[in-house]
Amino acid sequence: MTHDVTVTVDTAALRHNVEVLRRIVAPSAVMAVVKANAYGHGAVESARAFVEAGVDWLGVADLDEAITLRRAGVEAPVLAWLHAAGENFVEAAALDITPAVSSVDQLEAAVRAGVRAVHLAIDTGLSRNGAVEAEWPELFGRAAAHAATVPVEGLMTHVANASAEEDGLQMARFARASALLDELGVRPPLRHVAASAASLDYVGARASMVRFGLAAYGLSPWPDRSVADLGLRPAMTVTAPVTTVKRIPAGEGVSYGYLFRPERDTSIAIVPVGYADGIDRAASERASVTIGQRTYRVRGRIAMNALVIDVGDDPVEIGDEVVLFGDPALGRRSAADWAEAQGGITYEVVACLAAGLDRRYLP
Amino acid sequence: MSAPVPLRRATVDLAAYRANLESLIARLDPVEILAIVKADAYSHGADVLVPEAVAAGIRWFGTVELAPALRLRRLGLGDEASFFAWQLSPSDDLDAAVDLRVDLGVSTLEQLDAVAEAARSRGGVALVHLTIDTGLHREGCLPSDWPAFVARAVALRDEGVVRLRGIFSHVSETSEADDQAAARVFEKAVADAEALGAIVEKRHMSSSSAALEHPERRFDMVRMGSNGLGIPVTEGVTAADRGLRPVLTLSASVAKVKRVPAGTGVSYDYTFRAPAETTLALVPLGYADGVSRRAQGTVHVVVNGARRPIVGRVAMDQFLVDMGDDPVAVGDEVVLFGPGDQGELTIGEWADATGTIPEEVACRVGARVPRVYRGARS
Repeated sequence: MTHDVTVTVDTAALRHNVEVLRRIVAPSAVMAVVKANAYGHGAVESARAFVEAGVDWLGVADLDEAITLRRAGVEAPVLAWLHAAGENFVEAAALDITPAVSSVDQLEAAVRAGVRAVHLAIDTGLSRNGAVEAEWPELFGRAAAHAATVPVEGLMTHVANASAEEDGLQMARFARASALLDELGVRPPLRHVAASAASLDYVGARASMVRFGLAAYGLSPWPDRSVADLGLRPAMTVTAPVTTVKRIPAGEGVSYGYLFRPERDTSIAIVPVGYADGIDRAASERASVTIGQRTYRVRGRIAMNALVIDVGDDPVEIGDEVVLFGDPALGRRSAADWAEAQGGITYEVVACLAAGLDRRYLP
Repeated sequence: MSAPVPLRRATVDLAAYRANLESLIARLDPVEILAIVKADAYSHGADVLVPEAVAAGIRWFGTVELAPALRLRRLGLGDEASFFAWQLSPSDDLDAAVDLRVDLGVSTLEQLDAVAEAARSRGGVALVHLTIDTGLHREGCLPSDWPAFVARAVALRDEGVVRLRGIFSHVSETSEADDQAAARVFEKAVADAEALGAIVEKRHMSSSSAALEHPERRFDMVRMGSNGLGIPVTEGVTAADRGLRPVLTLSASVAKVKRVPAGTGVSYDYTFRAPAETTLALVPLGYADGVSRRAQGTVHVVVNGARRPIVGRVAMDQFLVDMGDDPVAVGDEVVLFGPGDQGELTIGEWADATGTIPEEVACRVGARVPRVYRGARS
C-alpha cells in the first residue's frame, strides 16, 4: 500500500455534522451508518466520533462490520441488516449486536441465539434486502409470537429515490406494514425509512429515526444542494506528496497510453497514488487536484500506484503536498468533483478508498 | 444450525499461480523473471504469494515502493530473493533499504546521493538500478541528464558505497513504434553507461506482454505482474492462449431471494423494471467491494451454472441478479469472475465489459472480501 497517501479525517466535522442533522430531523432519533469502513473514513474512529456526538444508533451492513466495532470497544447500539445464509446470530447475541431480520429463518435463528431485540426489514419497493409484502403476515406473526422474549424494537425499509411519487408509494406500503404489526399488538418504537437522501424532502419518511450515511461525512447526496447550504463540513481530505517533477518538451507522451501530449513545454509532477489505492482509473485526464491554491489537471492514465499532473511553469517541488479532494470551502476539489470526473457518485469516491491507506484523525 | 455460508470471498488459486510462473520461466529461459508484487500482489496477498513464487523458482520481486519491500524482508519472506523498489519518496527509510539489501531504482542525482549517504552511514552498500526515462515520463533520468547521472553512479561505485545492479526503464506500451523508439533510447543509455564504466548485472525494460511478444527487448530480465496471475493484458489474447490460468475468483452467496411481479422497480432510481414476473437474487457484493457500478447491464454472473445479468444499480454493499424462472435459494454460489470453468467471465472479460483493465479490477477487490487460499504447497 502507498504509505505516502494520507486520508485525514476531521473528527470534529463528523461530530458537527451529526449535531446539525439531528437538529434538522428532531425529534426523530439519529443513526450514523458506518458500513464499508465508514464510507472509507475508518469504521472505528468514525463510530467513536459519532457516538461522542450523541447519535442514538450505529448502522452497518453485515455482522463482521458490527463485530469489528464491538471488539474495538464501541458500546453504542449497533444494527446490522445484511446476513449470510444460515447465519446463527450467536456472536451477535454475545456482543449485543441487533440484527435487522428480513425472513422467518433469520428471525428464528436470532431468537434461538438470544439476541436482545430485532428490527424487521421490509421491502417497500427497492427490491433489495427486505421482506416482500407477501412474506409479512408470516414474518410479523412469528415476530409477535416471540415479542415477549425478543422484542421487535424497529421496523425499517429503504427508499429507491426514484421519484416523489414512487417514494410516496413506498411510504404507503410502510404504513400498511406498521398497521399490520399494530393489529398483532407489535408497536416497534423505532420506525426508520429515510437515509440521508430522503431525510430532507420527505418529512414523513423521517419516522422515528433517520439513518445518516453520506451526509454525516459532510458529503451531499442531493443533486440540488451543497453540504455548505446545510452547514455540513466534509470530514475527509486525501493527500499525497509530489515525488518527482520533470520538464517535458511539447509533443511528448506522458504515462501509459500516452493519452496526454502537451502542446507546449511543461512540467509534470508524479503523485504516488493510483487505482490500487481506490482512485478510479476512469478519472484519468478528467479529475483535478490542488497544490496550495492552484488547481492542476490529472494527465495521462492513472496507474496502479501513480498519477501525473500537469503543473505548467509553476515552481512545484518534490515533497509538495497534493490534495486530491477535501473541503471545497478551503479551495480544494471535492469528492463530488471526483465523482463527476469518473462518471460516478460521491459515495463510491470515498467508500472505495483502500482500507490499507494511512488514516489520520484530527481531534 | 450449521455455520453460516460466508457472504463473499476472493479465492486465490496458488497452484495456478505457481504453474503460471513455472510456465513463464520455462518460456523465457535464460532471461530472469522479476515477479511484480506491488499493491499487495494486486490485492491477492503478497505475504502468501511471495513464498509460492519462490517455490516456483522466482528470485526477483518488485514492489514499486520501498515500504512493502522492507516489510516482506522483515517477515523473512523470500529471503533467498532480491526485492526491487523504484518509486522512492523523500520520506523513505533508505538506511533500512541498505541494511535489508533491497534493490533501489534511482532516477536523480539527489536520490543517488541519498542512497550513497545511507550506505556510508550504515557501513553497507546500496544496491542500485539506474532508471532511464525512455519516454513514459514518470520515473527515470531524462537522456539529456544521463551522462552526468551515470558518472556520479560510477564514482559512488568506485567509492564502494554503491553496487550497480541494473539499468532499467518502463515503456508506455502505447504502440509498437513508440516502444521500439523507447528500446533504442534504452540501448543507447546502456551503451553510454558502459562507455562510462558502468557495467551492470541486469538490464531490464520490458514488462508482461511486451516481454512475451518481443524477445529482442527482454535483455537480462523482464518484469511479470499480471501474466503470473493469469491475466494477459494484450487485447484479444486470453489466458488460455498463453497457457495461463486465472488465479483469482470473486464469488458470493445469495443473501435473499424474492419473486416479484412484472413492472417491479429494482434498486436505486428504478433504472430497471422487471418486464415480466421474475425471481431476483440479492448478492452481497457492492462497489465498496470492488464491483463497479458500470457492471450494471454489461456483465453476467454465473448462478447454478447459468449466466445471469446484474439488474438495477449496483449499490455500496449489494446488487441484484435477475434469475427469471430458474430455481435459486439463499446460500447458492454466485461467481462474478474466475478461470471460466463454470461459464463465468474471466477477469479480463469483466474488465473489458466495465471499461477498465483487469489490474484495476483485481486491485479494487476490497478489504471486506476475505481472501481464501487454495492449492498451497504441501
